[in-house]
Amino acid sequence: MTPIEIGLISVVAIVFLIYSGVYIPIALGMVSLVSIWLMRDNFTLSLNLLKIAVGDSAMVYSFATIPLFTFMGLIVAKAGLGRDIYEVMTMRFRRVKGGIGMATVGANAVFAAVTGSSIASASVFTKVSVPQMIAQDYNPRFAVGVVAGSSVLGMIIPPSAMLIIYSFVAEQSVGDMFLAGVIPGILLAIAYVGAIWFMGRYTPSFVGGRTVHDTEWMSKREVASKTLPTVGLIAIVLGGIYTGWMTAVEAGATGSLVALVIALVRRSMTLKGFWDALLETGHITAAILFLITAASIYSRMLGLAGLPNQLQDLLAGNSASFWTIMLLYILLMIFLGTILDTASIILIVVPLFLPLVIAMDMSLVWFGIITVVGAEIGLLTPPLGISCFVIKSTLNDDSISLKDVFMGALPFAFVMLIVLFILIEFPILSTALL
Amino acid sequence: MLKSALAGLSRVANTLAITANVAGTCTVLALVVILNVDVVARSVFNSPIPGTYEIVQLAVVMIVFLQLADVVRVDRLTRSDGFLNLLHSRRPRLTSGLRRIINAISAIFMGLIAYIMFPEFIKMWGTQDFFGVPGVFTVPWWPVKLVIASGSALACLIFVLKVITAQDRPQLIRAPEHDMPEGPSK
Repeated sequence: MTPIEIGLISVVAIVFLIYSGVYIPIALGMVSLVSIWLMRDNFTLSLNLLKIAVGDSAMVYSFATIPLFTFMGLIVAKAGLGRDIYEVMTMRFRRVKGGIGMATVGANAVFAAVTGSSIASASVFTKVSVPQMIAQDYNPRFAVGVVAGSSVLGMIIPPSAMLIIYSFVAEQSVGDMFLAGVIPGILLAIAYVGAIWFMGRYTPSFVGGRTVHDTEWMSKREVASKTLPTVGLIAIVLGGIYTGWMTAVEAGATGSLVALVIALVRRSMTLKGFWDALLETGHITAAILFLITAASIYSRMLGLAGLPNQLQDLLAGNSASFWTIMLLYILLMIFLGTILDTASIILIVVPLFLPLVIAMDMSLVWFGIITVVGAEIGLLTPPLGISCFVIKSTLNDDSISLKDVFMGALPFAFVMLIVLFILIEFPILSTALL
Repeated sequence: MLKSALAGLSRVANTLAITANVAGTCTVLALVVILNVDVVARSVFNSPIPGTYEIVQLAVVMIVFLQLADVVRVDRLTRSDGFLNLLHSRRPRLTSGLRRIINAISAIFMGLIAYIMFPEFIKMWGTQDFFGVPGVFTVPWWPVKLVIASGSALACLIFVLKVITAQDRPQLIRAPEHDMPEGPSK
C-alpha cells in the first residue's frame, strides 16, 4: 500500500472508531501510531514521533489560556453575571413579540464575552430563561431553541476555547483569533434577533407567548450594578489584548482574578464552590490538552502520508472553484458535526485543508472563523448536538423531549448557515479588527 | 483473595489519582497568582518576574499530566458514546465487552507513552539538562519528563483496572457544568 492509501484508510478508521465510542485522543493517537509504523515499516520511528509529540505539544505557552479562561468562565457563571445581564435585557425587550427570546440572545452574546464554552452558556440560560418563557406562554420548542441557538455564541465570541484550539493547529496568534471572532459573533447575534422578529411576525404559532404590560422598570442604579461588572470584565480582557498591553495568557489570568473579586464582593463564592471550579478547570484542561497532544501525532502522520498535499493537488488539478471547495468543506464539517464535538472536528479536519488554504492565498484567521462557525452548526443538529443534550439534561422537565430541543434549534442552525455564507463571502468581517 | 487484592489496588490507584489531581489543581491556582503578580510588577514597577514564560510552560504540562489519571478515573476523557449508549439498552453484555476492549486499547496507548517517557526521565536525571535562558531563569527537564511518565503510567493502571472490573458508567453527556448551581442573583 502507498502511504497515501494508508493515510486515507487511517482517517476513515479514526472516524469509525470515534463513532463506536473509543476515546477520541486514543483513537487519534493509536491509529496514527500504527499507520506511521505501517508506512515506514519501523516501529521505533513511530514511537519516537509519539515521544516528540507528547513532550513538545503539551509545553506551549499559549495553552495556558485554556485553564485560565475556563476558570474565569466557571467563576463568572457562579457569580450570577449571566442572570443579571438577562434581567436587564428582558426589561428592554419585553414589549416586542418574542422579545424575551431576543433578550436571551442578547444576554448570551454578552455572557459569551466572559465565558469560553457553549456548554456553560447553555446550562446557565436553560435555568434562567426557559422557565420564564414557558411561564409567559411561549412555545416550549421555541424557548429551548432560542437557548440552544444562542449558546453557540459562547464559542464564537472571544474568549473561546475553540478559537484557541484552532490557533494552535494553524499556528496563528491566540490574540488575533480572539479579535477576529468579535464581529462575526455580533453579526450572528443580530441575525438571531432578526430571525426571532421574523418568526414572531410570520409564524406566531411557533413562537407563542403574550406581551407583558406590567411596567416594572429597574432604577438606573440597579441596571448599573447588574451590567457594570460584566462590561468591566470584557473591557479588561478584550481591551488588554487589543491594545497589546497583555498577552492572551495574561488577559486570562487577570480576567480570572477580576472575576474572583466580583464573586467575592457579591458573596456568591464559597470555599467549596471555589475549589469545585478549580477542579473542574483542571479536568477540562487536561481533557482538551490531551486531545490536542494526540491530534498533533495525527497531523504528523498526515504530513508523512502526504495526504494534505494530495488533497490540494486533487482540488487544484480539477481547477475546483473557490465555492466548490468551500461547499465541500462545510458539508464535511456538518457531516462530522453530527457525531463529533467541535474540538475534535477542528483537530481532524483543519490539518487536511491547511496547505490548500495557504496555496489559495486565503487568510488563515478568516479560515479559522469559518471553521469554528461551521463546526458549531453540528452542536445544534441531531443525533449528537451537544448543546441540545446539555439543555435537555439541565431542564429536568419530561414534557419537553430531546426531539423538541432539536426541532426548536433547527431554525437557528439554518440562520447560522446563512451567516456562515456571508462570512465566507466577506472575509473583511473576520479580519477588520486585526 | 484475588478480589481483595484487586480492590486494594483500585483504592491505591484512585487515591494516587486524586492526590495528583489536587496537586494539578493547585498548579492552576499558582498560574493565576504568578501571572497576575507579573502583570502588576511589569506594568506598575517596570520589573517583570524573570522566567514567567518558562513557569507557564511548566505549569501547563503539570496541569495536563497530573490531572490525566483523575480525568480517566471519572471517565471525562473526550469521547462520543451516543452509539454505545444506544447499544447498551439492547445488548448490554455486548456493550460491556466493547467498553472493555476500548479501555484495553486505551491502556496500551497510555502504557506506550509511559514506556517511552520513562527512559527520557532517567536520561535527563543523569545529564541535568535544562530549558530557559541560562543566567536568567532555567528549569531542569527531569521533572517534566517524570510527570509525563508517571501520569501516563497511572492513567494506564486505571484503564487496566477498568478492564478487569468493567466499571464504566454509561452517560448521556460528559458535562458536569450542567449540575453547576447558578449563584444567587445579587
